Amino acid sequence: MSCLDDFAQYPPEWCPGCGNFDLLDCLKQALCDLGLQPHEIINVIGIGQASKLGFSLKCNMFDGLHGRALPVVLGIKMANPAVKVIATSGDGCFYAEGGNHFIHNLRRNLDVAILASDNRVYGLTKGQASPTSASDFKTKVHIEGVGALPLNPAALALVSGATFVARTFTGAKAEATELIKKALLHRGAAVIDIMSPCVSFNKVNTFAWFRQRAKPIGPDHDVTDLHAALKLAFHDDEHIPTGVLYQTRRPVFGDHLTVMQGESIVQRTLRFTPDRVRPLFKDFY
Amino acid sequence: MAGPKFKTGLRLMSGNEAVAEGALYAGCRFFAGYPITPSTEIAEVLAMRLPQVGGFFLQMEDEIASMAAVLGASLAGAKAMTATSGPGFSLKQENIGYGCIAEIPCVIVDVQRGGPSTGMPTKPMQSDIMQARWGTHGDHPIIALYPDSVEEAFWETIRAFNLAERFRTPVILLSDEVVGHMRERMFLPKPGTVSIYNRRKPRREPDKYMPYEGGAQDVPTMAAFGTGYRFHVTGLFHDRTGFPTNDPAIIESELRRLHRKVDRGYNEIMKWEEFFLDDAEEVIVAYGCTARSARAAVKRLRLRDRKVGMFRLKTIWPFPDRAIRQIARRAHTKLLLVAEMNTGQVLGEVERAVAGKCAVEGLQRLDTEMITPRQLMRALREG
Repeated sequence: MSCLDDFAQYPPEWCPGCGNFDLLDCLKQALCDLGLQPHEIINVIGIGQASKLGFSLKCNMFDGLHGRALPVVLGIKMANPAVKVIATSGDGCFYAEGGNHFIHNLRRNLDVAILASDNRVYGLTKGQASPTSASDFKTKVHIEGVGALPLNPAALALVSGATFVARTFTGAKAEATELIKKALLHRGAAVIDIMSPCVSFNKVNTFAWFRQRAKPIGPDHDVTDLHAALKLAFHDDEHIPTGVLYQTRRPVFGDHLTVMQGESIVQRTLRFTPDRVRPLFKDFY
Repeated sequence: MAGPKFKTGLRLMSGNEAVAEGALYAGCRFFAGYPITPSTEIAEVLAMRLPQVGGFFLQMEDEIASMAAVLGASLAGAKAMTATSGPGFSLKQENIGYGCIAEIPCVIVDVQRGGPSTGMPTKPMQSDIMQARWGTHGDHPIIALYPDSVEEAFWETIRAFNLAERFRTPVILLSDEVVGHMRERMFLPKPGTVSIYNRRKPRREPDKYMPYEGGAQDVPTMAAFGTGYRFHVTGLFHDRTGFPTNDPAIIESELRRLHRKVDRGYNEIMKWEEFFLDDAEEVIVAYGCTARSARAAVKRLRLRDRKVGMFRLKTIWPFPDRAIRQIARRAHTKLLLVAEMNTGQVLGEVERAVAGKCAVEGLQRLDTEMITPRQLMRALREG
């Protein structure tokens, strides 16, 4: 068994009140509840305030490039599918710079838990709009507003092929912890869009703003119904359904490849037995 | 938004602000970029200032998109730029190469920070010198400038735009975290008093326009999309019509012309500062923030009657090899000390230019702290 302290590392340097503190707590709690040890987890992060979570979570860590966490996950999982990989970053990293990788790795149903801390603003570079900022959101570089529709992470995840899609709010820690556990146990691409207030640069989508709007999905929602999930994904901003929107089973990327059957490519030893080599010789001589 | 608005006179500005202001004077009316430390202030100032002068600003979804948007805007006739730092500069490279072969004038600012990779976002290094030269694939010419002060950041930005327009090519404006973030007093001139070069437009009728005919100066005239001219732009090798070709003779002659247009512009492009060089026996070769320490070291050593001077590169690419060779050949020149915050990216170029005519040594620092005057003085004493 593990306890919260087992996952403690460098103390985070976020602003007091940042939603990422709660997300870090929830993630640690989820890992403990599942009885995972720090050495069993690989966390791949990108660049941004949300990514900094990685420095405060003791486990194997790949501190990657802005937007490029998911292709790194693919490399890890194809080399050794047995390892548990999570990708933690923010809305700018997953949905803007990494938007292309987000779509294509969900198509693949890459076996990874994607935890997207979504504060609807760029915190690291101090207050520019993110892909999830509202169209009329004003910043110092969007002086007349963003002028583009906010990206809908849950809907994008659903239509891109994710097999687990959830939404939560850092102010609802019990729900967030349960969802992270479900995502970690899910085999396939699991996406949780985690609404997380930025206390310094987003004066619109505040803690109170999210708390007023985040409403748990009712028990009558069928999580295997893609169309019902899409309906929940297209919420109006006054009522944001939280919880599991969708969960299904589909082969994960690699299942279709002969090379991925049996032991992983890193465990496999290269054996040049005569019956393996003979066909090669036949090709050339 | 009101009409053109320029605050002139004596101002206290940062290097990044001066770049933004210089761009406006040069006629830049389009900026697309993505936030990245330590260049973000350029975007922040332009987000506010461009609309005031009738220009367009947009934060894009990433650096690749930003660079592509800049190419599009320039082809449609607007002077365009982007600003970034090391990681973003790497991402822009493929589009910069497109700009080189398709001969699209634009300015790319790289405010250098510690690298490679994420490195040190908040502190300076000078390690993108070779990325500015060879960051994109393929054999291409490039122009890169590097100011060392706030005032010069303003003027070199204007020069970057002028050279881009004059030679129909992307121009890299290098800066660093120190030059970008420090504040200095500077004088902003009246806009009309600054000389601005605009791309040469075709005089021929639209149906006879050849978008890649070099002409006497090897620089083709440039029509804008949507002005009655119809033309084809491609990253493939192309002939003077702009359409792809696989004729080896045309490929060779077009690539030769691409290089020749910049080679022939050597005197126009080249700019450097000679500081106490007339009788200097020991010459510090420096650029950007390091040149500030070099200037201080030269002043202090001159007070002690040491014959020390500085050769400061303002144009980094093409490399001022003729100017440096001339210095090396002077009878009194004994040593060139190349000081830089990398492992010798300019040192190698200096050695190539000098070709053994005098001693060349390097002083390098990689800890993201500036080379100090004291360090330079010590190096010269021991040298």
